[in-house]
Amino acid sequence: MKIRRTAATVTVASMTLLFSCGSSKTTSTASTSANPATTAAGTAGTAAGTATTTSAATAATSAGTAAAAGGDIPSAIKAAGGTSKIAGAPAAGIEAQYGPICKGADLGIGKIDFTKDTIGWAQSEKEANPFRIASTKSQVDEAKKRNIKLLTTNAQSDAQQENTDIKGMIDKGAKAIIFSPINSTGLGDAIAYAKSKHVAMIPVDRNITGVKGCADVGPQLGSDFVLQGRRAADAMIKATGGTAKLAILLGASGVNVTDDRTAGFKAELKDKNASGIQIVFEQTADFTREKGKSVTETLLQAHPDVTAIYAENDEMGLGALAALDDKGMSGIAKVHIVSIDGTKGAVQAIVDGNFDAVIESNPAYGPTAFAALDAYVNGDGAPAVTITTDNQYDKSNAQQALDSGTAY
Amino acid sequence: MTSTAAHTVGRSATHGWEDITSWVRQRGVYIALALVILYNVIFTAHFNQWDTVQLLFAQMPPVLIVSMGMALVIGTGGIDLSVGATMAIASAVLAKFVAPASSHGLGSPIALAIAMALLAGLAVGVFNGTVVAVGRVQPIVATLSLLVAGRGVALVITGGALVELFDPFLKVVRQGQVFGIADVMIVAAAIAVVVSVLVRRTTLGYRLVAIGGNRRAAVLAGVPVRSTLITVYAISGVFAAVAGLIATARLRASDPSYIGLLMELSAITAVVVGGTPLKGGQVRVLGTVAGAVLMQLLQTTLLAHNIPNSVSEMVEALIIVAAVYIQRPSRSAA
Repeated sequence: MKIRRTAATVTVASMTLLFSCGSSKTTSTASTSANPATTAAGTAGTAAGTATTTSAATAATSAGTAAAAGGDIPSAIKAAGGTSKIAGAPAAGIEAQYGPICKGADLGIGKIDFTKDTIGWAQSEKEANPFRIASTKSQVDEAKKRNIKLLTTNAQSDAQQENTDIKGMIDKGAKAIIFSPINSTGLGDAIAYAKSKHVAMIPVDRNITGVKGCADVGPQLGSDFVLQGRRAADAMIKATGGTAKLAILLGASGVNVTDDRTAGFKAELKDKNASGIQIVFEQTADFTREKGKSVTETLLQAHPDVTAIYAENDEMGLGALAALDDKGMSGIAKVHIVSIDGTKGAVQAIVDGNFDAVIESNPAYGPTAFAALDAYVNGDGAPAVTITTDNQYDKSNAQQALDSGTAY
Repeated sequence: MTSTAAHTVGRSATHGWEDITSWVRQRGVYIALALVILYNVIFTAHFNQWDTVQLLFAQMPPVLIVSMGMALVIGTGGIDLSVGATMAIASAVLAKFVAPASSHGLGSPIALAIAMALLAGLAVGVFNGTVVAVGRVQPIVATLSLLVAGRGVALVITGGALVELFDPFLKVVRQGQVFGIADVMIVAAAIAVVVSVLVRRTTLGYRLVAIGGNRRAAVLAGVPVRSTLITVYAISGVFAAVAGLIATARLRASDPSYIGLLMELSAITAVVVGGTPLKGGQVRVLGTVAGAVLMQLLQTTLLAHNIPNSVSEMVEALIIVAAVYIQRPSRSAA
């Protein structure tokens, strides 16, 4: 862990750290002193290893695990091609993994020589907010660390552009594409093209849905946005003591992240019987600080008695905070705020006593993505769907997260 | 103009009815505004308070100021699609100058930063005006180029990310009041008065309306078309910069990706709903103000009643169509 921390110099890159710190826990005894590239590859090996030996291991350990493995696959995972939960404790930094195990050779994808071959990174949105900046930085840093030639593109929130970007990089000779899909659907064109050219496709962050596991894209890595919503609800229940007049600032309309974070939040309120939390207002603020502020201003005018705000990303939460501050209503004693992302600004707001909690959405997929790619094309394969672990910040760990740089 | 024509024609035929339709036609936006206010007074909780007015005064100035510039440009028969991007550029320039070195800024005094931001707006406006007047490029195309490129320029200036700004003067802009009325609203109102006087009482006003009415006739009448057009687009650029500064102060940050996003459409809507014809030759300042207030109030109303976003957008579209339909030129005049 110490070694990794000193290796990264730029603060924005620090999310990478959080992740690699997590994954290196399992491998630290064996290879802390080894060069970083092998460490990360080692992690993937461990993960894949767990996966391939699953059946034997489950049978040997307990019937309980076997039952968990059999049923109850979340619908989002099914949509992304996951068919069965891989039992056994996943590597640190990974929440859960779902089979089948994808192997590049099954799609006719040849081995990749990381010392020579080119890899492509397709970002979906402008690197104008902390999440996207950290997301791209993580990929670029990991490629640099492994000394890999990396092409990069940015689709500026345009699905058609992302299709074009990916195909363009394939035409330039990229042997694999790691990409952050703009949405769960709409990239069929690029996926089909990659398949026809036998190029490995690794989606990160948002999953590609409507695919058969391993048949269209390679291993998918993502956060569980429904779970993020559920954890936000738990934090909200804890913060408010289960009684609140609550407003929800929704993300951009028509994006599955918004739907998932909303559905998870409401489902958890219901499951926890938090009927004292009354949702009085629910409006989109487009994931932006500007809209977060103006929508909250109107909210405060129409519902001056509101006591809590759930913002589906940090930027909207910070906009809401600005609106509250203008009215002299900032501070969790007056209005509780819980948001999702884990950016520095929001974590600082916890320290300042303005936010109750922030659920992290980890943008640093670089190390896991390259490790999964390696296992997929050169090793024993990688699980169809991997859900990575997201942190959670509140008063108890916010200052520490800022000091250590884990908040991005 | 057209409605006065209708009025005269109507007098000879069906006197009373034509009078009424003409009256309504000229005042469509005010009637719609009165209806929305009436609805709120009756049905919206916490509407009948000074707070409501204060919120409106805090949120309105940017769109109001941009609409004033847009009304002038539309009066010349042109259009300025670059206003939103210009707001972003002004915001980015302000941030670049005023932000401390730790945030990749130059740490200049706020006065210099504001001056540079306004200068940037002026430069954009002069560029637009020159392309339209001298280059004889259609305004929609000329200003479209900056709609597309301007935001990119702004992003390059700030380095892409949102920059938080803590200058005390921005807090004054955000919170300053005179007798309970927001300073920024006073600025917006002053701009509206100036534009109103400009249109009705100055040579520039007569000239821009003349160009909008019939450019060739204006040329023949000796109107200096080029300098007039450049001036009008320059005014629009500076107004957009002022709006960008106010929006930045309100947000406490420069966010070039989103500041002024889609502002061109809001401004055009305010102007058109306010009864100014897109073909030019006429500028209705008070109508534009009413149009801007109407659209803002409509959004606030739909939000306050927690109407889902998809429905809100349809309602807004319907009101725009209705207001414009009411004010269409009558057949007898056409």
